[in-house]
Amino acid sequence: MKSMKDCDVVEILNLSDKQLVSLSKKNVLSLSLAEMKTLQEYFKKLKRNPTDVEMETVAQTWSEHCKHKTLTGIIEYIQIKNGKKTKKTYNNLLKETIFKATVELNKKWCLSVFKDNAGIIDFDLKNGVAFKVETHNHPSALEPYGGSATGTGGVIRDILGVGLGAKPLANTDVFCFGDPTTKPSKVPKGVHHPKRIIKGVVSGVRDYGNRMGIPTVNGSVYFDHDYMANPLVFCGTMGVIPKNKIEKKVSPGDLILVVGGRTGRDGIHGATFSSVQLDQSSDVSAVQIGNPIVEKKVLDAMLSARDLNLYRAVTDCGAGGLSSAIGELGQKTGAVVCLDKVPLKYDGLYPWEVWISEAQERMVFAVPPKNKKKIIEIFKKEDVEAVFIGQFTKDKKLVLKYGKNTVANIDMSFLHDGIPKPTRKAECKIKEEKLQKTVKLTPSELLRVLKKSLADLNVCSKEWIIRQYDHEVLGQTIIKPLQGNNIEISGPGDAAVIFPYAVIKGTKKGIVLSNGLNPSYGKINTYKMAASAIEEALRNAVCVGGNIEKLSILDNFCWGNPNKPEILGSLVCSANACYEMSKAFSVPFISGKDSLHNEYSIGDKKFSISPVLLISAVGVIENVANTITMPFKNSGNKVYILGVTRNELGGSVISKIKNIKDGIVPNVYPKESVQIMKGIYKAIHKGLIESCHDASEGGLAVAVSEMSFSSGYGVNINIDYIKTADTMSAAEILFSESNGRFIVEVEPKNEHRFKEIFKGLTVSEVGCVSDNNFVIFESQKEKVKFKEKLTSLINSWKNTISW
Amino acid sequence: MFGIEIFTKTNYKDSRGEYVLYDINSSGVSKSVKKVKYCSLYIVDGNLSLNEIRMIASCLLSDNITEGYKITKYGGKNSKCYLNNIFVSKAMIEVVYKKGVTDTVSSSVVKAVKDLGINKDIKVKTGHRYYLSGKFSKTVLDNIACKLLSNTLIQEYKIKSMK
Repeated sequence: MKSMKDCDVVEILNLSDKQLVSLSKKNVLSLSLAEMKTLQEYFKKLKRNPTDVEMETVAQTWSEHCKHKTLTGIIEYIQIKNGKKTKKTYNNLLKETIFKATVELNKKWCLSVFKDNAGIIDFDLKNGVAFKVETHNHPSALEPYGGSATGTGGVIRDILGVGLGAKPLANTDVFCFGDPTTKPSKVPKGVHHPKRIIKGVVSGVRDYGNRMGIPTVNGSVYFDHDYMANPLVFCGTMGVIPKNKIEKKVSPGDLILVVGGRTGRDGIHGATFSSVQLDQSSDVSAVQIGNPIVEKKVLDAMLSARDLNLYRAVTDCGAGGLSSAIGELGQKTGAVVCLDKVPLKYDGLYPWEVWISEAQERMVFAVPPKNKKKIIEIFKKEDVEAVFIGQFTKDKKLVLKYGKNTVANIDMSFLHDGIPKPTRKAECKIKEEKLQKTVKLTPSELLRVLKKSLADLNVCSKEWIIRQYDHEVLGQTIIKPLQGNNIEISGPGDAAVIFPYAVIKGTKKGIVLSNGLNPSYGKINTYKMAASAIEEALRNAVCVGGNIEKLSILDNFCWGNPNKPEILGSLVCSANACYEMSKAFSVPFISGKDSLHNEYSIGDKKFSISPVLLISAVGVIENVANTITMPFKNSGNKVYILGVTRNELGGSVISKIKNIKDGIVPNVYPKESVQIMKGIYKAIHKGLIESCHDASEGGLAVAVSEMSFSSGYGVNINIDYIKTADTMSAAEILFSESNGRFIVEVEPKNEHRFKEIFKGLTVSEVGCVSDNNFVIFESQKEKVKFKEKLTSLINSWKNTISW
Repeated sequence: MFGIEIFTKTNYKDSRGEYVLYDINSSGVSKSVKKVKYCSLYIVDGNLSLNEIRMIASCLLSDNITEGYKITKYGGKNSKCYLNNIFVSKAMIEVVYKKGVTDTVSSSVVKAVKDLGINKDIKVKTGHRYYLSGKFSKTVLDNIACKLLSNTLIQEYKIKSMK
């Protein structure tokens, strides 16, 4: 290929290894030496040098972001436990853990898993539910508002781009931030203050979701110093899709239609950039700005085109832009694209920039030629720009043209399957956990720890964030994020339930959304962190009336640099937990995403994040009338605790407050948990439970207090009646964060039938709801009793974040 | 080139300004700023008459009940410092997007101007102006501008002080 205007030929045929590496670095290709050599080999066979467009296309397609090459590569794993080494080699970690569980569980109601832009499960005879959660960490660190807004916009487009397009019904958002109370002088140069990041990120998610008219209904926030320079922003979207629109298939001859926003220099190198460690000189053009109004118009227009069967396939332009979108759609066919036909925001873009730009709000369609006119009419009606830029072929080649010149011509098979499998080493030392010295506290100390726990950043009210979001728009949110008997006093709901009656006429069914996140456990043991996150997500869904037999989960791994064996080792360890827990709970994974390389360097100092696994759960509820909230409902009702309390203070809130060094990290005991979860679903279904809340961060004391102050009813709890696995002090019982526990409220007349359901399981009656205004905890054994007014507890809980 | 500033009328709550003031005080950047008045800024370039500009400001960009507007010549040597004309303040911080950054509001304005019936090719840039009163140094203003009001990765700021 001759050198031509607008497009350079890059010399690689005669480069040495060293030169290849520096070329990759200079052009921000993020390709390893092995990958550069594979590229060199390929073009040696073609007897020519690649063009810059070809180099960029390969770099985008082979990026960590698009191919997940770490998790699908070869990993040599060594686990060290009690001095014993066990070795295992993974050829594809994802396939051998997370995906394997789904295959083995083989649930009939999983309609589309791990192959499209989102996972889809069965809703009713005619419809499915699609759910996807993505991260947008690096852009949010640089430009919090734009980064999180485009994160939300991106995941909404994932739902639009699944099958032939789903209709988005709800958003979720989960964040990990630095400590907002950090002194400005302690913030490293070139990093935004955590509070500024928080405000920017929250308003970005708010503005995009609110303007699209999609409610943001569920979320979680975790604060830790580790995330100061590298905040984590997870955005999720759930939608419904007709079952006959789940399959997409491109036919040779279909026209390529690009729809929505125009292309500019936005987000160039976003995909490869996400595999690069951040530094202060990060590029301006990596920042993307969102435009929700355009996306809303695209949504409306494309759904009407979908219902008229005007196109055969669709996908969104995410990381890698047109390059990834058309590359994916044309993988099995081939494609010819005229880059000069792509509508631009401004002149002066090089062909390679047009091809890989990550400008927002764009979708790509495969349109049969006979529908050419009709589909353009529909987009025109909604004032959406839609332009044909090429055609799918059958020669399995990707050909890019600019005017009369061919600027790229590569085989699809090389592009998609040519990537060499990297081999990485991973090592995980399982730390030995020791039981802490018995924690005995006086009544006044117990109360102080309770109030401090409620005020802890990771427990306290997130009302300031939640109320900025419209969680009611569309009028289908029946279980809401804040729950209580009064606007002034509302407690944290466990999960959200959407009743899609406006979209699916006549339905009685609902969709439950929840999440689980425990990074503080991950600092000690990533296996237990993963297991706990899975259980927490399931518990939350079960609390509102979710059916454990109809729940499915999504994984989002955010880890540090996978080139370090101990970091990759901790990831392998948690992936194993995912497999085992998924099997044990019989809950399949339906989709997932990973974001590795979450590392940031300033000067010589390196900031690496603590690993985070976010588990998001989605499930279908048979009858939305059978859902409940967490505040107590009436005085005189009995309070029960389901599940065993164990001496597990490792990584807990109390261990942070009281500076307790040792402690066992909460483990998961799926055998009993599953039975309890099934029982709760049955009991809620029969109307035997008035309210239900799970014990997680802060333990039983926090959970009981939340149920109490959100309702305005007091409660008396006898600590001695709480069933424990070991001998424990009152403080340990109240603040242990053991998994598998639920606090439920039962009317006295239903007690008998309630107990019947939980026969053979751990059930303890621990107290009753009262109409005075006090939360009272008492232990005769230890001779401690403490009580506190509801208003005082609410204030502890509410006042931490109120900016 | 015209600059159109949209501000909240005095008998209405300027919540954006109050929020910025709260932010300045609570973030520890400065305790000596006493008041902040917020204006959104639209820089409009094109062959427009003053009447057309007035129509854009009153019919499109401002809410006539709660907001007022002010039109000035923007940029060039003859641009006047008109701080005194609007508010008594000690300094003004102006924040606009850097060149090349997508400005979605501006494209909406360009489209809406056409919908108003003004069929001319125009360019629009959007930004913010913050009028600050109180006692503070240039360094404090710089800190407020780059730590709270702008992200220098995508925006640039200008500070004008009154003597």
